Amino acid sequence: MVDQLPNRGRELEMLNEMGFESIEDLFADIPADVRFKGELPLRGPQSEEEIISDARRLLGANLAMGQRPAFLGAGLYRNYVPASVFQLVTRGEFLTAYTPYQPEVSQGMLQAMWEFQTLISELVGLPIANLSLYDGSTAAAEALTCAVRVHTRKASQPNTVYISALTPPDKQSVMFNYCQGAEIEIRTIEHHEDGSLDLESLAKAAGSCGVYLEQPNPLGVLDENLVQVKDIIGENTALIVGVQPVSLGVVEAPGHYGADIVVGEGQPLGSPVTGGGPLYGIFACTQPYLRLMPGRIVGRSIDVDGNEAYCLTLSTREQHIRRHRATSNICTNETLIALMGAMHMALLGPDGLRELAERNLQACQAAKEALQATPGVRLVHDTAHFNEFAIAVPGSSTACLAFLDANGITGGFDLSTWYPEQKDRILVTTTDQTSLADIEALSAQLALWSTHQEVNA
Amino acid sequence: MSHLFDHHGAENTGYSQPPALTTKKKASVPNGLMRKSPARWPRLSEPEMVRHFTWLSKRNFGIDTGFYPLGSCTMKHNPRVNEVIAQLPGIADIHPHLPEHHLQGLLSIYYEMQHMLEICAGMDQVTLQPVAGAQGEFTAVRCIQEYFRLRGEDQRTKVIVPDSAHGTNPASAAMAGFEIVEIPSRADGRIDLDALAAVADETTAAMMITNPNTLGLFEADISAASAIVHEAGGQMYYDGANFNAILGITSPGLMGFDAVHFNLHKTFSQPHGGGGPGSGPIGVKAHLAPFLPGPLAARREATAEERGQAVDEHWYHWLEPEHSIGKVQQWHGNAGAVIRCWAYYRRYGNGLTTMSEHAVLNANYLRHAIHREAKRIGVDHLFVDGAETEVAKHEFTLSMQPAKEALGISAMDVAKGLLDRGYMAPTVYFPLVVPECMMIEPTETESKDTLDTFAKHFVEVLTCDPEVLHEAPVTTPVRRVDEVYAARNLCLRHPFDDA
Repeated sequence: MVDQLPNRGRELEMLNEMGFESIEDLFADIPADVRFKGELPLRGPQSEEEIISDARRLLGANLAMGQRPAFLGAGLYRNYVPASVFQLVTRGEFLTAYTPYQPEVSQGMLQAMWEFQTLISELVGLPIANLSLYDGSTAAAEALTCAVRVHTRKASQPNTVYISALTPPDKQSVMFNYCQGAEIEIRTIEHHEDGSLDLESLAKAAGSCGVYLEQPNPLGVLDENLVQVKDIIGENTALIVGVQPVSLGVVEAPGHYGADIVVGEGQPLGSPVTGGGPLYGIFACTQPYLRLMPGRIVGRSIDVDGNEAYCLTLSTREQHIRRHRATSNICTNETLIALMGAMHMALLGPDGLRELAERNLQACQAAKEALQATPGVRLVHDTAHFNEFAIAVPGSSTACLAFLDANGITGGFDLSTWYPEQKDRILVTTTDQTSLADIEALSAQLALWSTHQEVNA
Repeated sequence: MSHLFDHHGAENTGYSQPPALTTKKKASVPNGLMRKSPARWPRLSEPEMVRHFTWLSKRNFGIDTGFYPLGSCTMKHNPRVNEVIAQLPGIADIHPHLPEHHLQGLLSIYYEMQHMLEICAGMDQVTLQPVAGAQGEFTAVRCIQEYFRLRGEDQRTKVIVPDSAHGTNPASAAMAGFEIVEIPSRADGRIDLDALAAVADETTAAMMITNPNTLGLFEADISAASAIVHEAGGQMYYDGANFNAILGITSPGLMGFDAVHFNLHKTFSQPHGGGGPGSGPIGVKAHLAPFLPGPLAARREATAEERGQAVDEHWYHWLEPEHSIGKVQQWHGNAGAVIRCWAYYRRYGNGLTTMSEHAVLNANYLRHAIHREAKRIGVDHLFVDGAETEVAKHEFTLSMQPAKEALGISAMDVAKGLLDRGYMAPTVYFPLVVPECMMIEPTETESKDTLDTFAKHFVEVLTCDPEVLHEAPVTTPVRRVDEVYAARNLCLRHPFDDA
């Protein structure tokens, strides 16, 4: 018996009042030839207690990263999210609201999102931020189409954008799907052996509509070359930088070295990894992109009494008004996850963010030091890193990760998945949740693996 | 008022962290990349932060606060056990790149959800990757596009949408590169088959339509519409925004559709969160399945060796469709939303039909009650049904045009008057085909008493002095917000004193 229907038992009373005799009368307008016959071939209903018991059993069969040393990241980062964030975000007034189309009764979420916009704007060093896109990949993809809308008319390479060749294939795939409809061509820019951006390769992007690069890059490299990019590509090509937001506690905000658009996976601020969603995509930009940017944005206004009040603004870019001429099809976004981000950011404050970034930096350094000293393991890039770094191991990366897994360690991300020609590379990710004991365990098992490989060689 | 950026109180930070790991050499950022000036974030202690956001929450209206009859959005109750489940470490703390043997629970739930949605929609294959309804639309239209490209039918560059369609339909199709052909609805709000037949031809890739349509009416001619589009060689796309009306009663498959998206956050109660997250899986018929974004959850019989780690007699695994369009989100969709919706589905199981029956019962009852109360107090001349019909489905529309003409009371005035009476307002001015439209969707989780009381309040608003009503709302945290001022005096972030 389903317990979610307050009018069970009152059906007939309601029907009779309307002049009907059965529920069936309400569906008389559905032709017989399209009607379901019989009962849905599904399992029976369950009580709350049975559901939670099944959920515990099934989800318990998944390996939570906290159960053992884990070095898997590659775009998602397991940070600690303070308890108050979870407590506050489940308040029904936030949780069970929808898009604030009636601003008079939605001031709470509107103001929170306006504050979120300010927090992000300050974080990335750009004047404008929207109130979230789906995730880092769609934010990057929408940044490319936005850059084309703004620049293509004056571009010597119209409808063309350039992205880092290191961009993970899954993210490239999202970009392709978002760009192909507008016939945007996506070309790549190369990196040097040490992981830094090849500025000569970048030169070919001049005159295009936009350039997408990440800081830290997908292999965790903090790349000083990005500071020079805007001067090379010039005013009429958008510099789009993808960020790990926590890094901006210690790393320069891209807005301060010429970025026109900053995007990123917001998840490390405020949200658990949650199997890859829901997350929230950061999207921030400078003034020239404002009216052609995707997504909702909150403005501070006044009510009829002249009191401070907030509402959605610049809505004429959006699908519910502009329809097929909208800047994006996005409607439902990730507001609640962005709200978690705002709460986490508010609690950290500028000093807390720096401290969090330093903890991530130090954990990465500790892992690098340990693995550098591990026999058989080679660090691929001898540069500064944030969160993660690539290593080369003896034998195949896939076999090595299986070995680590069998020995109680989630060893990292198999880079042969992204770059098939790199058969021996693993991306090792650390966060503020990584302990020295985790790192020692990884190092010990990798040493063991190396010994095995030597013996077998 | 409480302002986040007025807080400078807490020394250092509101959240104390454990010390960083010690290393031989201290980690550093390259000189040229060191952050020079910190973000001007506020400084709050935990008590201040908690109080600020609690204060904000009290200035926000949710389903928990009161009746939320926002048409097209299916604002039903969100069972709290789903939130508890979504916080379990087996979902909150898992990485999508974990090997399959560490994700058997997630994969089995994905499989169960795909299978359930396939049955409910009459489709052959579902993917859970799209993270919102609009993204589901985009994904399905992309699959249709690649399907035709592979068949060499590149000339199919047009997508047909009725003028009553959700704005996301034309926006999604345009994003995929299609030209939009809008067809007018008939005077009774239903699809015009002649208009459809006039535009469906060898350039048609698809028609996108929702049924029941945005007026809450079931399109009885849907099979004929499908036949016209299929005859022209096009595909039929079902916008699942209104799926809550028909679950277990009919299905897109039975109506002749080739592809469908679901708004799991609507039909299966993922909390809407003030604007998201959602989840927008799509289902397709077999001929479109090879184009779906990967990976899909699949299963086979578990081997004796696998039994130890298996959650049942099957071994679950990811599967990449042969001609996959690739990804529309970097990972496996909004897994956390899928888990909540799985818990919601389990609550009903094969009783999902009852859910839809009650959604339709409540909508029809509310429509009846509003007309009844209007007659009782003599204001029934001030509004008319948005479309004439014997029965509505999960939602219905009213046109406030008579009130506008007689008294100058607009749909917006009524909406604001309802806010003063403790309700969220219905959707207003949509669909565009109904003048002074109010679109009302009560959902199945509202009691008869709530509906009766709302009906009384609704008609009471119409008895207000129009001058007074133009001033509404007066009891809300703020009064009518000046949206023109907001657009003309753009203030999109806190104006720091030095800015």
